[in-house]
Amino acid sequence: MKTYLIDDLQILQLHLSHYFQFNQVIKNSDGQPNWQQLLPNEIKPLIDEKPQTSAKGFFFAEQENLLIFNGEFFQETLPTPKAFVLFGMQSCDLTAIHYQDQFFKDDPYYQARRQQCLLVGLDCITPCKNGFCPTVNAGPGVRDNYADLILHPLGDQQWLVIEQSDKGVQAIKGLRLKEARSNALTKREVNLTHCEQLFPDDSYITQGIKKINAGNIPNTFWQKVAIQCLGCSGCTTLCPTCSCYGTRTLKQDNNHFSQQRFWDSCLYEGFQREASFNNPSVDAGSRVHRFWQHKFGDAYFTDFSRYGCVGCGRCEETCPGVIGVHSVMKRIEQENLDA
Amino acid sequence: MLNHIPDSIELVDYVDDGEQARHYRFRILPSNKGNIEKYQLQPSQQHHWQYNWGKVQPGQFFMLNVPSLGEAPFTFTEAPNKQGEFRAFIRKMGQVTSQLFTMQPGDILGARGPFGRGWPLNTTSSNNNTLVVAGGCGLAPLVTLIDNFVNRLIAQRAISVQTNQESIQEEKQQLVLIYGARNKGAQLLTPERARWHEHIKIFNTLDEYEENKSATTVQGSPLTVLPKALGFFTSPPTIAMLCGPEIMMKSVATSLTEYGLASNTIFLALERRMHCAVGLCGHCYINNQYVCKSGPTFSWQEYQELINISDFSTNFSSN
Amino acid sequence: MTKLINTICPFCGVGCGINLKLDNNDQLMGVEPQINHPISQGKLCDKGWSTAYAITSSNRLTQPLKRINKKFYPISWDEALTSISDELQGIIEQWGSKAVGVISSARATNEDNYAAQKFARAVLKTNNIDHCARICHSPTVAGLKQSLGSGAMTNSAKDIFSTDLILVFGADPTENHSILGGHIIQAHLQGTKLIVVDPRVTRLAKLSDHHMQLKLGSNIALINALLHVIIEENTYDESFVKSRCEGFDYLAQHVKKITPESVENITGVSAQLIRLVAKLYSQSKRAMIFYGMGITQYMSGTNNVISLANLALLCGHIGKEGTGVNPLRGQNNVQGACDMGCLPNVNPGYQSVDDKNVQEKFSQAWHTQIPTSPGLTSLGMTKAALSGEFRGLLLFGEDPVVTDPDQNQVKSSLKNLDLLVVAELTLTETAKLADFVLPAASFAEKEGTFTNCERRVQRLNQVLAPVGQAKGDWQWLKALAKQMGSDQLNWSTTEAVFSEIASLTPSYQAMTYQKLDENYGLQWPCTNESPNGTAILHTTSFPIGKAQLISVSHTDVDEMPDKDYPLQLTTNRLHFHYGCGSMTRNSPLLERETPVGILFINPVDANHLEIHHQDGVSVKSRRGYLETRAMLTQDVPVGLVSMPYHFKEAPSNQLTNTAQDPVTKMPELKACAVLVKALGEGEVPKTIAQLQQESSHENLPY
Repeated sequence: MKTYLIDDLQILQLHLSHYFQFNQVIKNSDGQPNWQQLLPNEIKPLIDEKPQTSAKGFFFAEQENLLIFNGEFFQETLPTPKAFVLFGMQSCDLTAIHYQDQFFKDDPYYQARRQQCLLVGLDCITPCKNGFCPTVNAGPGVRDNYADLILHPLGDQQWLVIEQSDKGVQAIKGLRLKEARSNALTKREVNLTHCEQLFPDDSYITQGIKKINAGNIPNTFWQKVAIQCLGCSGCTTLCPTCSCYGTRTLKQDNNHFSQQRFWDSCLYEGFQREASFNNPSVDAGSRVHRFWQHKFGDAYFTDFSRYGCVGCGRCEETCPGVIGVHSVMKRIEQENLDA
Repeated sequence: MLNHIPDSIELVDYVDDGEQARHYRFRILPSNKGNIEKYQLQPSQQHHWQYNWGKVQPGQFFMLNVPSLGEAPFTFTEAPNKQGEFRAFIRKMGQVTSQLFTMQPGDILGARGPFGRGWPLNTTSSNNNTLVVAGGCGLAPLVTLIDNFVNRLIAQRAISVQTNQESIQEEKQQLVLIYGARNKGAQLLTPERARWHEHIKIFNTLDEYEENKSATTVQGSPLTVLPKALGFFTSPPTIAMLCGPEIMMKSVATSLTEYGLASNTIFLALERRMHCAVGLCGHCYINNQYVCKSGPTFSWQEYQELINISDFSTNFSSN
Repeated sequence: MTKLINTICPFCGVGCGINLKLDNNDQLMGVEPQINHPISQGKLCDKGWSTAYAITSSNRLTQPLKRINKKFYPISWDEALTSISDELQGIIEQWGSKAVGVISSARATNEDNYAAQKFARAVLKTNNIDHCARICHSPTVAGLKQSLGSGAMTNSAKDIFSTDLILVFGADPTENHSILGGHIIQAHLQGTKLIVVDPRVTRLAKLSDHHMQLKLGSNIALINALLHVIIEENTYDESFVKSRCEGFDYLAQHVKKITPESVENITGVSAQLIRLVAKLYSQSKRAMIFYGMGITQYMSGTNNVISLANLALLCGHIGKEGTGVNPLRGQNNVQGACDMGCLPNVNPGYQSVDDKNVQEKFSQAWHTQIPTSPGLTSLGMTKAALSGEFRGLLLFGEDPVVTDPDQNQVKSSLKNLDLLVVAELTLTETAKLADFVLPAASFAEKEGTFTNCERRVQRLNQVLAPVGQAKGDWQWLKALAKQMGSDQLNWSTTEAVFSEIASLTPSYQAMTYQKLDENYGLQWPCTNESPNGTAILHTTSFPIGKAQLISVSHTDVDEMPDKDYPLQLTTNRLHFHYGCGSMTRNSPLLERETPVGILFINPVDANHLEIHHQDGVSVKSRRGYLETRAMLTQDVPVGLVSMPYHFKEAPSNQLTNTAQDPVTKMPELKACAVLVKALGEGEVPKTIAQLQQESSHENLPY
C-alpha cells in the first residue's frame, strides 16, 4: 500500500467519477451539507462538513422491498446497484460503517450494496460542532482499514492519498500520482494530534460511560430523563450505528404482495409491544436507557470491539427534548450518582 | 448469507381449541421445475426446501407469513415430518392471526425457520427427572418436548412388555407437568393434555375460583402446587423448564432455586415481538442479546445476568 | 439520496423546515430537518419524521370518482367538472346562493384557501365559506379581536428563549407542537420558570415548577382569582394599563370579590397556589402565555380567551419581547385559512363582509358584486342541510365525519345534501359520503405558502409530480369556475394567486415569493411600513387603539357528571397523530404506537369499575356509544377520563357535546358526562362501523 501526493483533487474526483457513480457531500441552497450524487460535469470541491444524514442509508436503505409474493412463491428482491463511490467520508461515519459491516455481515440486501461501494475517507483536521470522536476512538483521523482510500489535507491544495485496500489500489490505478515521502505521513500524525487537542473537554462523557457500565444509575434517573423523550425517532434516524427495522406488507396492483423493511426506532412505545399488548419496555425510562446502553454498554463493546457511539453528536443536534448525548452525559455528571 | 425469504406452505386443516385458538396443520410445498421457469426463480429459490425443516428441535420456532399482512413467530407443536407436514397451535391475537383465522385449507402461506435455541437437548434423553411448568398458551412450546418423552415411555413399555421385563427405565425417569391458567376457559391444548394424562403426572391450577373444578385442579398459581409437585418425584428433579407469562416464570424460578435447583438447570422460554428472527431487526432485544437468536430459551442464570443490566420490570402490563 | 428539496412540514402550526429526500427514481425515501431553519433548527417531531409515509401511501386517490348508489366509479375530470357545475347551478337556480357553500381546509395552502373563498364569494355569490378553525381556534379569533384587535399569536417562537416565565394554559405543546414544546423544555432547563394549567398531568406539567391541576372548564374562575390577587396586591403594570388599556375600573370591581379562596371549590386549585402564581406571573420581568384547546373548546371559549388577554394586559406582558398571548394553532395553515377569509363573516385580511367600504373594495377588485350578509359556519351548513335549506357543499382537506362533534348528526346531514363534493388525498370517512370525490395533490406535489402560528408566511416547494390525475385545489377550483362561466379564478401560476392575495390583504401587502424565499418566510403584518415583517404585535398601539379589559364570569360546563353518567370525558391529542389521522395513520410506525383508540382512565376509577390495563371498555354518553381500550394512567385525575379523537374506529366525537359558544358556535368538545363499563373478558372492542352495522340489524322489523 502506497501513499501519494496530489495537488489537484479534481483529478482524482474526475477519475473516480469515470468508473463509479460519484457521491460527495455538498451544500444545498440552504447551506445544508448532504450526500449527493454528482455527474462528472457537476463535481464540486470537497468540503469537510458533517452531513446531517449519515451515509448508512446507502447500504441499509431507509425503506426497501425484501420480497414479492406472487400468489404461490416468495421471491427475493435483491438490489443491483452499479459500482459507486462515497468520496470524502469523515472518520465518525466510516467507523459507523465498519460497525454496521459487522452487524449486517450476513444480510444479503446490505451486502449487495456494500460490495459495490468504494469508500474514500477524509481526515478531519478541525473539530466539528458537538463532535467528540477522539473520546470514543472514532476520529478525527480515519482509522486503518476503515476506508479503501484516505484523503488528508496538507494545506495549500495539497492532499495525501493513502491506499488502504486492494479495492483502493485498483480504483486509482492508471492515475499518475506522485509518491509521497515518509515525512508526509508524519505530518499527518502531527495534524491529527493537533486536531485532537482542539476538542473541548468532554471528560463528563468518559465519566458517564463508566457510570452507565458500573450500573449505579438508578431507574428513576432514566425515568426522569425519559419525560423529555418526545418519541420523535430523530436520534435513531440520524445515529449512524442504529440499525433497527420494522417490516410491513404492501399490496401490489396485480394482487401480489411485497414485503418491505423500514427504519424503526427503539424509542417508540410500540417497538416491543406484542399482539397481546404485553410490552417488556412499556416504561419510557427503560427505552431511553436501552438506547444509551446500545451506544455505551460494555456488552456491545465485547461484541464489536468498540462502543456503539462514534461521537458524531447528531443526536444532540436533533433531539427536541434536549436529551442528546452531551445533555444526558452532563446530567449524569450533575446527578452525583455515586452516592 | 441469511435468507429472509419464506418457503411456501399450504394450510392443510385446522381444529378449534376454544373460541380464540386453533391447532393448525401446514405442509411445506416443494418448488417444481414449472414454477422455476414460470417465475424465473433465483437459484436460491430452487431448492426443494430453503430451510432446515428436518432438523427442528423442541422449543424452536418458525415465522409464519400471512402474505397479505406479514409475519409473526410461532412454535411447532409437531415438527415437520418427511412429507413436510407440521403443526402449530395459534391463538387469535393480532392482525396476522386474525387474517390467518379467515383462511381455508388449500390457501398458500409462507414459513421461515426453524429459528432460535430450543430446550436443552440432552435432558429428556438422559436420566434426568424433569419438572415442566407452563402457564396458559405457554404450554405450546413444550408440546413436542413432552410428546417426545411420552412417546419414548410408550416405546419402552412396549419393549418391556415384549421382553417380559419390569421397566426399570420408567422408574428412573420422571416428568411432572404443572399447568396454570387464569380460568377454565383459558386452559388450552386439550387434546395434548388428554393424550399425556395417563403417562405423566399433571397438576392443574386456576387463578380464579371455579365451582366445578376437577379433583386434579387446585385454585391458585403454579407456585401453590410446587411443593406437592416436587414431592411427587422419587428423586428431586435435576432440570426444570418453564414457559408462560414472564412474571410467573420469574417467581417459579426463584422458588425452585430455594428448593436447591441450580440456576443453570432452570430454563425459561421468552416471548417477544419479532420481525426478522435472525438477530437484525432489533425488536426482541434483552440487553445486548436477541431472543430470536440467543433464545427463546434461556437458563435462569443467563436470564438474570441479562435482566440485571436492563431490568425495568415494573409496568402496568404485569398487573 | 440524490435530491434534497426544502419545503415546510405539513403537520402543525409550528411550520418546521423540512427537506424531502428523493432517490434516483424520484421516489421519496425520507426526510431530514433543516438545520438553518429559524424555528425548527435541525429538529423534527415524530410526525415530521414520518412525512414520507403520509404522502406515498398506497391508498391515495388518483382519479375523480362518482358515486352511484353505494359504489364509486372512476370518471374523467371533464365529466366530473361538468356534472358538478350543472348540479351547483341547478341548486342555485332553484334555492338561491344561500343553499350552497364551501368548506376549505386549514391544511391547504393560502393560495388554495384564497381560491376557495373567492370561488364562494365571486362565483357562487355566497359567504357560506368556513374551515375547521371553527372547532379549534374560532374563540381565539373572536376573543383576541375584541380584546386586542387581532386574533393571532402576539409574539414569536424565538421569544421562548427571551422570557423569564412561561405560562401554559390548556395545552400540551410537547404532544401537539412538539418542536415548540421542546423549545419550552430547553428554556426551562436554562432557568425559565414554567407553570402549567391543565386538568391532566401533561408532560410539561411533570417538568414544570408549578402545576395548577384545575377542574374542567374552570379557567375563568381561576384567571379572575389571579386578576383579583394581582390587583389586590398592586402588582399590576399601572402605567401600561393607564396608557394602553380601557375597562380597568370595571374589571377591578368585577373581580373584587373573586378571591382565591372563593374559587377553590370550582377550580380545585388551592388558594395558596393561585396567590403564588399570581405573584410569579405579575412580578416577572417578561412572561409569556401559551394556550390551546383547553381554553377554546368550551361553551365559554371566547370568554376564556378574553380572560387570558385580561391577565396579560393587566401585567403589561404584551407588546414586548418574551411576552404576549400566544394561541397554539393546530393545523399547519389554520392561521392562513383565517387570514385568507375562509370564514363566513370576513373577507381576506379580516375585512368584514358587512362593511360597505370592504364590499366596494372587493367588488372592484374582482369585477363582480359580492354577497354582503354573513354566511353560515360549517356547523351551520350541516344543520341547514338537515332541514333542507342547504343543499350543495364543496369540501376539501377536511374530515368532519371524524372531527366534528356529534358525528351521527354530521353524517345524516351530509347524506341529506343534493350534492357533496370532496377533494382529498385518500377516501376518508367524509369522502365516502360524497357524490363526487376529487383526487387532491399533497403538499409535496404543489407550490404555495403556509402561514404558521407565529404569522410566518413560508414557501413550500413542489417536490413530486401529483400522483395520477390529482390536482392542486386552486387548479380544480379554477377549472370548475370556468365550467360555470366565470373567469374569476383565471390565474396562470400559484405566484399570481399570491400576488392577488398581497394586493387585497393589508397584512400581506409587501410580501412576494422572492422575499419569502430570501428570509425563511416573513411574519405579518408585512407592509410598506414594515417591509421585513413583524415579530411582535402591539408594540406601540393596538389595531383598535386601546386594548379592552373585558369583564367575564365563570359558567359551568354544559353537562356535568350525574348518577347516570358519572365520569367526565375530555378529549386530547396524541403527538403520534394529527387531526383525523388521514396522513399519520399511513405510517406503520405512528400507527403502531396506538393501533386502536384508547381511553385514559385513573387507576382508582379503573379499579372501582374492575377495568384492567388494556381491557376492552364501553363508553356511553347521552349522544353516542363506542368501544375502545382502557389505558390506566395517573395522568388523568380521578373522575376524569380522556380520549384522543384521531381514530375512526372509536371516534370520541360520537360522545361529545354539541353545546356551543354563543359567540363563535364553538362546540364544547372538552367536557361531557359519560358512563364507562368493562367489556366481557377477552371481548375485543368493536369499531364504530361494526357497532352501527349491528344496530342497523337490530332495527330490522322482525
